[in-house]
Amino acid sequence: MADTGQGPSDQGAANQGFVPTDGRRGANGSLPVSLRREMMVGGVLRFSSLGVLIMLIIFFAAAAPGFTSALSLTNILASTSVFLLLSLGETFVMISGGIDISVGSMLGLGGVAGALYMSNNYKGGNGFSSSAGSAGLWLLVVGTIISLAVGLTGGLLNGSLVVFLKINPLIVTLATYGAFSGFADLLSNGVPVVNLPPASVTVGTGELWNIPYIVFFAGGVALVLSWVAKNTRFGRYTYAVGASREAVRRAGVNLKLHTPMLYGLSGMLAGLAGMINAAHFSTASSTSGANDLLVAIAAVVIGGTPLSGGEGRIWGTVVGALIYTLLENGFVLMNVPSFWQLPVIGLLIIIAVSLDQYQRRLRTELSAYRSLEGITAAEPEGGDGQAAGGEETVGTADQAGAGSLLKPPL
Amino acid sequence: MDGSLRRPVGSASTDLRPTNELRLENVAKSYGGVRALKPITTTFSRGLTGIVGDNGAGKSTLMKILSGVITPDAGSMWLNDRKVAFTSPIAAKRAGVESLYQELALAETLDVTGNIFLGRELTKNFFGLRVLKHREMAASARVTLKQVRINIPDVTSMVRSLSGGQRQAVALARAIHFNAPVVLLDEPTAALGPRETASVSTIIEHLVEQGKLVIMVTHNIPQVITMATRIIVMRAGSIVWEVDPRQTSEEELMSYMVGTRTTKNG
Repeated sequence: MADTGQGPSDQGAANQGFVPTDGRRGANGSLPVSLRREMMVGGVLRFSSLGVLIMLIIFFAAAAPGFTSALSLTNILASTSVFLLLSLGETFVMISGGIDISVGSMLGLGGVAGALYMSNNYKGGNGFSSSAGSAGLWLLVVGTIISLAVGLTGGLLNGSLVVFLKINPLIVTLATYGAFSGFADLLSNGVPVVNLPPASVTVGTGELWNIPYIVFFAGGVALVLSWVAKNTRFGRYTYAVGASREAVRRAGVNLKLHTPMLYGLSGMLAGLAGMINAAHFSTASSTSGANDLLVAIAAVVIGGTPLSGGEGRIWGTVVGALIYTLLENGFVLMNVPSFWQLPVIGLLIIIAVSLDQYQRRLRTELSAYRSLEGITAAEPEGGDGQAAGGEETVGTADQAGAGSLLKPPL
Repeated sequence: MDGSLRRPVGSASTDLRPTNELRLENVAKSYGGVRALKPITTTFSRGLTGIVGDNGAGKSTLMKILSGVITPDAGSMWLNDRKVAFTSPIAAKRAGVESLYQELALAETLDVTGNIFLGRELTKNFFGLRVLKHREMAASARVTLKQVRINIPDVTSMVRSLSGGQRQAVALARAIHFNAPVVLLDEPTAALGPRETASVSTIIEHLVEQGKLVIMVTHNIPQVITMATRIIVMRAGSIVWEVDPRQTSEEELMSYMVGTRTTKNG
């Protein structure tokens, strides 16, 4: 997390450093008291998901026996890795103002497709499982490429339907959710795919410095995507489309190319998640991602990407994903019945969205106030590292992007 | 501002050749059964052409056709005797036509630089990815904003943090940044105070001095009489009068706009 809350723009907000362009200020030289108070509340909210994560760690460390053990922490990271890949793709789609609910079944389809290739071509196993090793490395490589290709194809189909037929993405991906699930069943005959090569088992269960390979893998993907969101034209257009599709169209951006690419990325990451999932559990099933869809979307929302799009950030999603896994593992360690997990996640989503709405209202009021009084922020809001996208905004306090639990209130 | 047609940063695909005239022949547009623009034939020349008219007169429809946002149902357009078809905003931009839209068309969660360069970012290739050149774009945006002369805290300010006037300034900066020979301005001073309106007027005068073809839709009659080299009055989707501003008055223009006069001697 780059934002520490101590950046210049943050101070500007906290100190109400809004200087009228014509030298005027309010009666006491600052914003109205009510607006100031609300902005301070909003300033606190920006850190809330990171704060929630830290508080959960402290709470479970004190209350859940064994929570801080290496095994427990390793489990948390490994459990997060698979659905984090889904969430990362979903983050891009949601920043653009869309949604992709087909990723759940794409995880199953991608995993089954890649695993089936590996299973059918691996002759060294006993027909059910393998131990770790390097045998079948090329099978793993080709299987992974197949998973990626299947995911990419499904995603491109989603994006094409959205942009060419102008169908709501929720409807499109709801339809393909069922279709992908059906294809996965057709491919696997409805039974789990086993007999994966040792290289797959090694990648899925091996560790480096007691940290599973798949954690490095998911972390690396998150790093790359964070950079892509902030520093590439693709990332810039993704934020811009979410902010105003019409503005982007009038700017001459080819949405008929960008939208399929966006959903293609989401699908590809879902396919990859399917392969990682298969490698981790040494089996692939058409139902593998069924429980991951809600979790993936929850991680994005809790991490501060609003459903309305235009804002959000990759690291917020990582924090959101960790919050979910912490709860899951903490509850298990505290012997809390597992059926409490989903209600708690649901509650977190509602809180996240409520706070998002609150921050939006603050921004609207502040914007109206500025327009009325002809004032503007003295410090560059600079905020939203991804949204603003400039190098000069990198490392400022407001990287998170508004509307988020992690992002600036203004 | 100098008068040369400098090639601005990020304008590789824009046609910067001077445009002497933009000609429309029987250009028309209907929405369902509503004729928003009846067949119009006119020629815009270098200098500032002001378009005035009441709400629903067809001004914005005409501007959207000229900027490629909507395509006309009929008619043809010619730039310097070269037939053009603006089937999209990017087609118009490539032909050298930049626009400031009435509704501004800004992405609120992007910063000022992001909005100025939206669709034409400066990038470098990195393994097939187009990587943004943040510093170059910011520096170039600052130069343009200085020309606009409306106080904006910084190019890294998010547009949603700006006042209405500042947003207007960002949209104007985007319209002039790429040094296009044809500039369309739809209500460029609508959200501005007197001081900012004066700044924008100065910018428009500079554009005219540079030999650009500027078309401005406005409700500000005194401003258009002072600045324009020609005024077109529209009503109910048609051009009802064209006049040299030195030969008319506010009252006369108003009478054509509202329809109390329909001919020069009416």
